[in-house]
Amino acid sequence: MNVVLALVALLLFPGVLFLVTASLAYEYVDRKLVARFQNRVGPRWFQPLADFIKLLVKEEIVPDGVNRGLFNGLPLAALAGALTAGLYVPMAGLAPSWGFRGDLVATVYLLMMMTLCIGLAGANTQDRFSLVGAVRALTQLFSYEAPFLLALLGPAIAAGSWRIAEVNGWAREHPWMILTQPLGFIVALIGLMGKLELPPFDAPEAETEIVSGALTEYSGRGLAFFRLGRDIELLIGLTLISAFYLGGLGSPLQFLGKTLALLFVTAALQSLFARLRIDQTVGLWWRTGAVLALVQLLVLIALRMIGVSL
Amino acid sequence: MSAADLSRIQGALAPWLTGSRLASDTRLDMETPAENLLAAVTAFRGLAWGYLSAITGLDGLGPAAGPSASEAAPGGAPAQGSASQHGTLGSIEVLYQFCQGPCLATLRVRVPRDRAEVPSISGAVPSAVLFERELSEMLGVHVTGLPGGKRQFLPDDWPPNVFPLRKDFLVESAAPVADSAPSVGSGEAPGTFIVPIGPQHPALKEPGHFEFAVDGEIITGASIRLGYVHRGIEKAAEDRSWVQGLYLVERICGICSHIHATAYALGVEALAGMTIPPRGQAIRTLLCELERIHSHLLWLGVAAHEAGFDTLFMFSWRDRETVMDLLEQLTGNRVNYAANLIGGVKYEIDAPAADAIRRGMDYLEGRARHYLKIVTTDESFLRRTRGVGTISREMSERFGTVGPTARASGVPTDLRAAAPYAAYGQFPVTPVVDQRCDQEARFVVRVRELSECFRVVREILDRLPPGDLSIPAPRKVAEGEAVSRVEAPRGELFYYLRSTGGVKPDRVKVRTPSLCNWAAVVNVVIGQKLADVPVILAGIDPCFSCNDRSLTLRRRGKTGAGGVETWSWEDLRTYGIRWYGGGRS
Amino acid sequence: MRKEGLMAATVHGLPAAFRRALEAVALWSRVNSPWLVHFNSGSCNGCDIEILATLAPRWDLERFGAKLWGSPRHADVLVCTGPVTRLARERLVRVYEQMPAPKFVVAVGSCGITGGAFHGCYNIVGDIGDVVPVDVYVPGCPPRPEAIIDGVIQLLTRLRPPKARRHAAKAAAPGGAA
Repeated sequence: MNVVLALVALLLFPGVLFLVTASLAYEYVDRKLVARFQNRVGPRWFQPLADFIKLLVKEEIVPDGVNRGLFNGLPLAALAGALTAGLYVPMAGLAPSWGFRGDLVATVYLLMMMTLCIGLAGANTQDRFSLVGAVRALTQLFSYEAPFLLALLGPAIAAGSWRIAEVNGWAREHPWMILTQPLGFIVALIGLMGKLELPPFDAPEAETEIVSGALTEYSGRGLAFFRLGRDIELLIGLTLISAFYLGGLGSPLQFLGKTLALLFVTAALQSLFARLRIDQTVGLWWRTGAVLALVQLLVLIALRMIGVSL
Repeated sequence: MSAADLSRIQGALAPWLTGSRLASDTRLDMETPAENLLAAVTAFRGLAWGYLSAITGLDGLGPAAGPSASEAAPGGAPAQGSASQHGTLGSIEVLYQFCQGPCLATLRVRVPRDRAEVPSISGAVPSAVLFERELSEMLGVHVTGLPGGKRQFLPDDWPPNVFPLRKDFLVESAAPVADSAPSVGSGEAPGTFIVPIGPQHPALKEPGHFEFAVDGEIITGASIRLGYVHRGIEKAAEDRSWVQGLYLVERICGICSHIHATAYALGVEALAGMTIPPRGQAIRTLLCELERIHSHLLWLGVAAHEAGFDTLFMFSWRDRETVMDLLEQLTGNRVNYAANLIGGVKYEIDAPAADAIRRGMDYLEGRARHYLKIVTTDESFLRRTRGVGTISREMSERFGTVGPTARASGVPTDLRAAAPYAAYGQFPVTPVVDQRCDQEARFVVRVRELSECFRVVREILDRLPPGDLSIPAPRKVAEGEAVSRVEAPRGELFYYLRSTGGVKPDRVKVRTPSLCNWAAVVNVVIGQKLADVPVILAGIDPCFSCNDRSLTLRRRGKTGAGGVETWSWEDLRTYGIRWYGGGRS
Repeated sequence: MRKEGLMAATVHGLPAAFRRALEAVALWSRVNSPWLVHFNSGSCNGCDIEILATLAPRWDLERFGAKLWGSPRHADVLVCTGPVTRLARERLVRVYEQMPAPKFVVAVGSCGITGGAFHGCYNIVGDIGDVVPVDVYVPGCPPRPEAIIDGVIQLLTRLRPPKARRHAAKAAAPGGAA
């Protein structure tokens, strides 16, 4: 791959420029949908962009008693992790720009960086709400990450590859895996919501309990990067799930249709439920989520052993 | 009930009394010297009659003319200025007001101004702690044996030995004291992690300051500091005319403004011996019920928001606009309706308005049914409410909770039924009671009360008595005292009014429902999860601005140790736990 | 410890036209994304419930990009209600100081303007303007939600340069805010 193409991939598509633009657009759709479900008008189309720029130009307050390097570095690390993960997924329905055997696992780890950074950012400040938020964020990470990974492994095992591009290709030629592996799909979708701390899994930043959780002390740029990183993760998560479970992504049109449909479902789930307590979240994942994903996997493996192909 | 009961009390307490009198079928006045107070109260509790409704302190009375100088003969012009600082003049009277149904039994204790001291009755009546703290801070009556010595109502820089409700209080004397080191950071013992909530915190739309010691997610200790919204309304009311007072008390609380004005107006009207035209009373009652609807819907939304259920918040606030529109149509204002006059109401309800109200009630009735279904069947919501924050009936009675909080614990207390005021005699209300005692019960009680409100509103519209809306009120109000108790959306609201025959009240004492509910909440929160705290706090529908007419609360400590400036809720809690016989700790 | 914003730091040393464009973008984002934090310094709740009502479906402040946040660190506009009591004073100042610049204050309700019905009470320090600098006063006891929204919009309009302001004034309906 020559240098020009690499730079284009990094900076324009599917790199920084495209990921930022698209993820801001998806944030808008998400907020608008939730607002409509709540009987409100909702934000204007440029709202996420205005929020982002405004946060960038706002004063950045570094509270006393924090490690400055960490305080400034963690949002960047989180954002970088999310952006890098964007290179391995079939963004916009086109082939991923990079890939290697096992890139699925790498992507999942990259997506995890966000939560780790948020947890560390919370633990870095002396603010009580941040500390409680950090503890909750890491607890939640511990609970949904395994089921989420298991749920993504299902299609990978079916396709016989741990390479995202190959799983995607396999999914396009076979029946939608949402039909053949419904349990895995549910776990993956809800796992994504848990990852992004969307309601009802927003205990780590429960406004009425701990203000804004780990991000309470962030004001300007740091907050902007964390928010943007989360938006990008949302986009990547939706892409991954629709590539794996909704019959793969072959064209930008398919990408739009499938990810937006998924976004519609998550927005509806966000507005339907009361917030789960952190103990309930953990309980839900280990008692239900992990078991469901495991059952799915075991069935898959058993079927492969007796030679049935899905 | 009533007269027979009161004479029984009179008889049972006789050994400790220096004088007593049955003022009417529902009023019993007893006098006791301070040294007998505790014994008398203990004996009183032994009778298992009623509950402590309020403790009122009066200043500006004549010299203590011996223990038997009975009926409140106001001692002429109250001593003003610094001359009386020496305290040779006058005495302070403390009124312990016990209520049951329409009956009121008052224990009066008169103490000299310079040695104002009464024993704490919180051993016999746990719910008295906050009342006594208020008494000692505001009126300077030293309450011996009161747990917790820290300030709850007045600011930290308030000078010692200055008491705002004393008649000789001068604003200048309350200048901030320079060396009043705010007790920041004093509350954190090694090994505890304190999460401050308030006074600026998203869970509190009003300022109050709580500190929760947590072990992981479990609450192990709780303390509260009130007083962030303390504005000094009781004192201000003494300096305004009777009519001005009406508009002042309306601004004690913007959510239940009409009920405050109603309680005040009913009290003044009783003092002045006025008979209000039935139409005026009926419209007053109708507005009370509309206000209750708006308040309960508001609460439903806020409580759902605390549980992280924003969609329910949005929906209930959308529907609340229906009743806000009706209130605006009737009175021209969405909040602070100024509908009451002393002597009746201002606003007429004509046929189109009545139709609009009926339509609104029909719409809301359907919505209320829907909300009842949600709060009783929605799985994710029930996970946050069922079995959370259980206040048992016994606990509820011990700590003197009132209103929907008490009714959700199975205590059938509702003044609209027990002691009908305004037009509730003609339009009876059935109290909504639930035995489950938890957060779910508090939701169910409030939502079912909405249906009761719709029924009463329709009934009033159907049988609206003809006639005048109001009668003219005198400028001066006859000498005497009156107690007015009404059922605010949050529970029993208690007003004590005292007139010396002038154009201004001599004393306006307000005891709001929230003040009664704190003790139970602080006890119940121990052992619960941090995530449940906002829901439990919201469960009693706390109203700090009601609470803090003379108090102030504050918001969260952001940096490090945060302000730990706590009226020791902890003291009250340990006290309550001890009283409660061990319990969790 | 404070630091200048990213934009402010990079702006120096760029051509004037480019800098102007950047500033225009910054202003645009600021006007379109007012995040609020609410503080009650001693109010009766009347104003506070009306502020909450502006978030509810009938008025939905999110239309204008406004969102209510819990942390003063995230907020641009401090919406403050009530007379300032002695105990709340220090907290009001603290919340204000915790907000990152540029920050604005909207005082809602008559009490915030003069102390209202509580003027002269012993536990009242004064009005909000006595404690923190106020940009917009919204009178009323309490002001209607429309008036509160108008107050915020007036604030945003004033951020714009005069020409754009005239343009916006034509578009927005005149309201009761001072």
